[in-house]
Amino acid sequence: MGWLRRRFPALLMARRNIGRTKVRSVLAALGIVIGVIAIASLGMFGLTLRYQLSQNLGDIGNQVMVMPADSEGAPDTLSERDLRQIESVAGSGATVAPAVQRFTTVSYGRGVSETRAVMGIDQPSKLFEARDGSIPDPYRSGALIGPNLADQRDLGPGDTIAVNGSTVRVVAVLSPSQGFGFTDPSNQIVLPTRSFDTRGYDTITVTETDSTAANATAMAIRAQLNERRERVTVRDFSSVADQIGQSFQALNLFLIGIGSISLLVAGVSILNVMLMSTVERRQEIGVLRAVGFQKLDVLKIMLSEAVLLGIIGGLVGAGFSIVAGLVLNHFVVGDATLVLRPGNFLYIGLAFAFGVGTSLLSGLYPAWKAANERPVEALRS
Amino acid sequence: MAVIETRRVVKRYRTGGETLEALKGIDFAVEPGEFVSIMGPSGSGKTTLLNLLGLLDDPSEGEVLLDGEDVTGLTDREQTAARKRTIGFVFQNFYLIPTLTAKENVEVPALFDHDSTVERRSVDLLERMGLGERLDHKPDELSGGQKQRVAIARSLINEPRVLLADEPTGNLDRDTGRKILEEFVDITERDVAVIAVTHDELVNDYVDRTVRLVDGLMGEDAPATGRTPDPTPSPDADVPGPTDDGLTGSDRP
Repeated sequence: MGWLRRRFPALLMARRNIGRTKVRSVLAALGIVIGVIAIASLGMFGLTLRYQLSQNLGDIGNQVMVMPADSEGAPDTLSERDLRQIESVAGSGATVAPAVQRFTTVSYGRGVSETRAVMGIDQPSKLFEARDGSIPDPYRSGALIGPNLADQRDLGPGDTIAVNGSTVRVVAVLSPSQGFGFTDPSNQIVLPTRSFDTRGYDTITVTETDSTAANATAMAIRAQLNERRERVTVRDFSSVADQIGQSFQALNLFLIGIGSISLLVAGVSILNVMLMSTVERRQEIGVLRAVGFQKLDVLKIMLSEAVLLGIIGGLVGAGFSIVAGLVLNHFVVGDATLVLRPGNFLYIGLAFAFGVGTSLLSGLYPAWKAANERPVEALRS
Repeated sequence: MAVIETRRVVKRYRTGGETLEALKGIDFAVEPGEFVSIMGPSGSGKTTLLNLLGLLDDPSEGEVLLDGEDVTGLTDREQTAARKRTIGFVFQNFYLIPTLTAKENVEVPALFDHDSTVERRSVDLLERMGLGERLDHKPDELSGGQKQRVAIARSLINEPRVLLADEPTGNLDRDTGRKILEEFVDITERDVAVIAVTHDELVNDYVDRTVRLVDGLMGEDAPATGRTPDPTPSPDADVPGPTDDGLTGSDRP
């Protein structure tokens, strides 16, 4: 404290002056506290929402789906050659899953039947995981069914269904999707490819490690396969992922904007307090000028006072924000310790800096006014 | 050589459409170690003169010399620096800062100097003023006389050459007033000039000389003697100086 006082003598006067009108100072600092909490917790709220959503979406948009093109003269299936080309352009960490799709009659016993899509795939573990039972490897027989369908029809491993007249035993129920991709497992019926009397594939799904890689692979596939003519349609999620990211950015900015309004109000209240203080202390400031304080010295004292209010308010606000973040993360994500993510501290730091900055700006005019008062005028009693 | 001097100083105030001449050509000089009182009725221009001597205001005409150097026309920054170096102020209302202790109040003029001897000097000064026991008291815990002593100690912290006192005994009872005036005599013995503006005849028991100010003119250099060049008479030359504009507000009874 002694060091601080020697280093920043203006702080001594500022601290005592804040102590002089305690209630007023506390109220002014309270404005900053509220503003800082608002900015920090709204920022953290946005971040938490984003985190939670990206958890739900899994590795958002890391899949690329290749299908035969719609254009005239294009082949209506993808060939083995296409598959090899796609495998060669896909990244080393990627999985490539070719599949066929057919509409056919499925009956679930007791006379219940419907016409629906059935998927044929040789290595289903590339796209799906099992909830009940297990996915055989190699996959030569048996059906895999989606979790919603299984629950709806009350099916499980060991039950049988009839597909296109032939009876198939259910070997596994798939897990619900972790993220979102092109093949949603919930209502699938999956059979080995050999069950279908067909050549070529209807879709080839490439699963990359992340959306950036997926985007690159999609471009490479387009360049390679569609070089001479439009043979395939390539879909990826990169634009969707970008849009989601941008929406969150906008949402966060909007939330912080709302928080900033409360800081603006706090700034006005500090301005008011400081102006009152300069009017009340007019003679005192006159004396300081008379005993040899330069204008700049008076400015420093008044500004330190405003900044000190801001720092006190900001620190208290930051403390409360961490508590607010704990509560927020506890209820939204279910893990309070997630408040310790670096992004949250960025928002708390930002809010603190805004709080102190607001105080500084609000202090400028009163300080300038006090510093430029002529001592002769100020000393008239 | 005079430590502080005014030459043919005129000060005019413009109030509304009228121009009031508060000082009408003052020649005044004080030697180091001299104790001078300036007396005069309300509105005679005493406080205006004190403000000019204290570099708080600029004259409309004439010069103010500090150690033989003309200080009129200096920038605010230079005037402030000169004031800090050479001049100490003592006010009728003490004007101590209520949030600071006696010791801190004395240190105030040197607050931004980063000078490690300030604290010791401040304690020395307060002990000299007999306030060794009151170092850490706030102003509201001190009596009027004690407050004025703290104010005097404050005015001496930067070792000024001149001490300007505006009604130094105005808010004190007679006994306390005497003690304060004795302090001033002590100070002049250390070669510091003291100029006191006052109503209080008691002050004259202690001073080396008294000058009287009437209607903006120095009594002993009255126009009748012909020594002062007559300033251009303004239409309201016969009207007493400004009384209600607050400039002479400290001339209260």
